[in-house]
Amino acid sequence: MLNWVEIVIRSFIFLIALFLLTKWLGKKQLAELSFFEYVTGITIGSIAAEVTMGLERHIMHGIIAMSIWTLFPIVMGLISLKNKKVRDFVEGKATIVIKDGKVMEDNLKKERYSIDELMEELRSKNVFQISDVEFAVIEPNGDVSVLLKKENQPLTAKDMQLKVAPIKEPQTVIMDGKVIDEPLSTIGLNRGWLNEELEKIGVSVDNVFLGQIDSYGQLTVDLYDDKIQVPTPQEKPLLLASLKKCQADLELFTIQTESMEAKQMYNHNSQKLNQILSKLTPLLKT
Amino acid sequence: MTIASNVKQCMVTLKSAKETLSKLAQKSRDDEAKRTFHESMMEVEEIIIDLQMRIGQLEFEEPQYKGK
Repeated sequence: MLNWVEIVIRSFIFLIALFLLTKWLGKKQLAELSFFEYVTGITIGSIAAEVTMGLERHIMHGIIAMSIWTLFPIVMGLISLKNKKVRDFVEGKATIVIKDGKVMEDNLKKERYSIDELMEELRSKNVFQISDVEFAVIEPNGDVSVLLKKENQPLTAKDMQLKVAPIKEPQTVIMDGKVIDEPLSTIGLNRGWLNEELEKIGVSVDNVFLGQIDSYGQLTVDLYDDKIQVPTPQEKPLLLASLKKCQADLELFTIQTESMEAKQMYNHNSQKLNQILSKLTPLLKT
Repeated sequence: MTIASNVKQCMVTLKSAKETLSKLAQKSRDDEAKRTFHESMMEVEEIIIDLQMRIGQLEFEEPQYKGK
């Protein structure tokens, strides 16, 4: 056989083998390579390259070596899933480097991290002052994770004791001017409803580049034609405003009326509406 | 504008609010939000009934302003 023909054949065989083996190794490889997995990955690739080009080598030998280099990390992964001790040994443990705002110099030394490197990592997390940090660890993959002191953490709704409207993931129902039926039926809506909503804002499906529905059933669209202004959804602000108006009206009636009975009724209802409003405001404000 | 027509207007606004609430209760995907909308809708409904009774009384007292 001609040499170059054999190289073509081998290339294809190992491309396919490499593709299948890496598929088999799973997604975890990409997200969090441990050093061991990193090295095995490189080795598998090298074997493939070596056997592709080195025509004196046997194809089967290459495949066997690659399989073993793939199988071993998988088996180790399976064992370490079951066993914490194996897991600590294989994947390593996190090392605490800052605790109670104090740097643990011994642990740093153990990880062979200089204080400059630690500072660099902290700066990349937007921390410039060690005293802002309550707790920091070096993860097995070399990343530094930082817990800031509470007063340096970003403000959340919970800190403010604010009531906020719960949200669900938005569903994308129109892409490139085409309606996608599956997400639409996931949230229990249909094309008829969608067409009605599009008519309300005065655009046709063809002109919609992207259309999404939020957790409250409101449709927001992005058009191909960026010159057209799309009205923002008005339903919720309108509802809030009209409820507020009614509440004010009821208060007014309470003052105006002379019948005691009616006064009581108006007063009672105005308070009731007030309660409804305080319940609904967080939901309608968003 | 008489009191009766003011109250009627308020009642009508509440009615439309009730419809919006029921629509929102149907469309919302979060159960908590759904329940809040639904409860609010029921309470608004009670207010509407009270107001309707009051409108009846008012129209009885001043029949000359009885509108649609």
